[in-house]
Amino acid sequence: MAVSASGVRVRPLNELDIEAITRIDEKVTGLYRPDFWESRVAYYLRRDPEASRVAEVDGEVVGFMLGDVRGGEFGLEETSGWIERFGVDPSQRGKGLGRQLFDELAEYFRSAGAARLRTLVDSRQGETERFLRAMGFENSALTALERPLGDGKK
Amino acid sequence: MKVDTAELPKKYRDAIDHWCRHNFPDLPLLNKYWSKYFPNDDEFCLCAKMDLATSKTIEVGDRAGEAKSETPADLGVEPAKHLLPIIRAQASTEFGSIQQHQVTLDRAQSDQDKFWVLRVMAEELRHGYQMFHLLTSRDWSSVTDVKPEDMVENVLAMKTGSHVLEAFNLAYDSFVDNVVFAAVIDRVGKYQLTMQKVCAYRPFAQSMPPMLREEAFHLAAGVVPMRRWMESAAKGDPFVTVRALQHSWNKWLPRGLEMFGDERGGDTNVRLGFKDKKNREAQLLYYKELERLIRDLNLRYLRARFADKSQEAIEEILRRVMAERGSTVEGVAWDDLLHLAHPEFFRRRGEPAYRMVGMDGQEFTRVDAYLGHLADNLSEAYTASRDMRVYADTLGDVAAGRLTREDAAKKAPKLERTSSVCPCSKSVRWVALDDAPANGKGNGNGHKAH
Repeated sequence: MAVSASGVRVRPLNELDIEAITRIDEKVTGLYRPDFWESRVAYYLRRDPEASRVAEVDGEVVGFMLGDVRGGEFGLEETSGWIERFGVDPSQRGKGLGRQLFDELAEYFRSAGAARLRTLVDSRQGETERFLRAMGFENSALTALERPLGDGKK
Repeated sequence: MKVDTAELPKKYRDAIDHWCRHNFPDLPLLNKYWSKYFPNDDEFCLCAKMDLATSKTIEVGDRAGEAKSETPADLGVEPAKHLLPIIRAQASTEFGSIQQHQVTLDRAQSDQDKFWVLRVMAEELRHGYQMFHLLTSRDWSSVTDVKPEDMVENVLAMKTGSHVLEAFNLAYDSFVDNVVFAAVIDRVGKYQLTMQKVCAYRPFAQSMPPMLREEAFHLAAGVVPMRRWMESAAKGDPFVTVRALQHSWNKWLPRGLEMFGDERGGDTNVRLGFKDKKNREAQLLYYKELERLIRDLNLRYLRARFADKSQEAIEEILRRVMAERGSTVEGVAWDDLLHLAHPEFFRRRGEPAYRMVGMDGQEFTRVDAYLGHLADNLSEAYTASRDMRVYADTLGDVAAGRLTREDAAKKAPKLERTSSVCPCSKSVRWVALDDAPANGKGNGNGHKAH
């Protein structure tokens, strides 16, 4: 468990972080989504509680990064570390919290046997994409495709 | 986490299979629907898991810096004698919680809640299997005459009422208990496992990280349903009430606090390098964590009740309601919210044993008034139990001077099953033990195992 010189403590996720994560998400998106975060936190805890981290300042959770290690999806046989959800309290931005969370996850994924980090980003979320590129993410040969279901027409 | 896995010899696996047929009949249901409720998760594996990264050097205590022991003989007679009951008690808790969960499992209001608890039960079974691996894969003959087969049989013969720790001797009244137990009692497990990660007996220390990894979901299986119940209660669901949750919390919290052992103890565990915290220190951290959980649950309730209010406004309502019992703010009464009982409330072990302390820390002087207070704050199903009757009689003896508080603390209702391991056997009889050993003041392991 790392405590940086700036007093930021990064530690594994636990079930008591649901409230703080919900609040950070609400500050960022304007949406209060407790059900969603209860389901997601339970999911990551049952997958591997060490693979997701939160950042604390003065004992208060101000950032989170959720992910896990898996393989065999999309024809990708190699084990990959997937970063899927993250957020930092807007009042705490600019302090390097995102990088600290990322470094801890990356180190854990490496120790768990992952050779590569993967994520998907919505191209309309420029800030998120800039952060990920700053962490060393580059375009992948995989392209995300989608189409609506329903009447079968686009 | 890199782990080695190990299987028990066939005779022990067969004994566990047999035990499951009687005590955990829903295990096959979990296997059948695993991929529906836990898609992409590795299938459940009933095996022992040993963490390979566990330190080989003792981290705390008199022998800090020396090599950890790999066998009971290496550990020495005194430490091994001290550790063996800890392992047996741990095994008892794992099997005991399955027996408790099974009785009310089918009363879950949703399939998801049920299958989450089923997974918890299966992983507790694995933890019990892990303890059996520790008891049977090494030679403990230097400190006990009991054969490994008999140690296993002794644990498998325990039922709700004859387990080592009191929290595992209370029957559940409803599925509310399944969930509150997971959030409150499994949390003690998290603390104990975390403290035992440093254990000077390396096979025991190696067992902790894989168990802790599974325990993280167990706590979520308690907290998430409770959060959703608070939302339902706030929206007026007549079948999910804060009062029912409060009564269950009041039942389990005192027993959870007592699982840390007497507040004055724990020195031996630290001295021998088995744990890195004494009892009081760990218990205080636990209580603080529960304060936070109660606050989160109340915030969940208030946000559901006042969907149009900001987080700041909700926190202000919470602060004002909690400030004074009996207060009402914007229609929210003190009783509408959950409260964490005082740590000395309804205690039968440790420093405050048989002191008549109320929910808010108020002291009672008359037994009848105190029992009335307990009846107001516990469920009817529980207050009508034998456990409460024994407690009330003992409290009366203490108040009349017929029993000291220390002696009363040793007088837990306890049933021990004798003879065959299998409840289908006809050669079974139960006896009530008068001299059940008390929570050792110094060892901090809850009750000593028989």
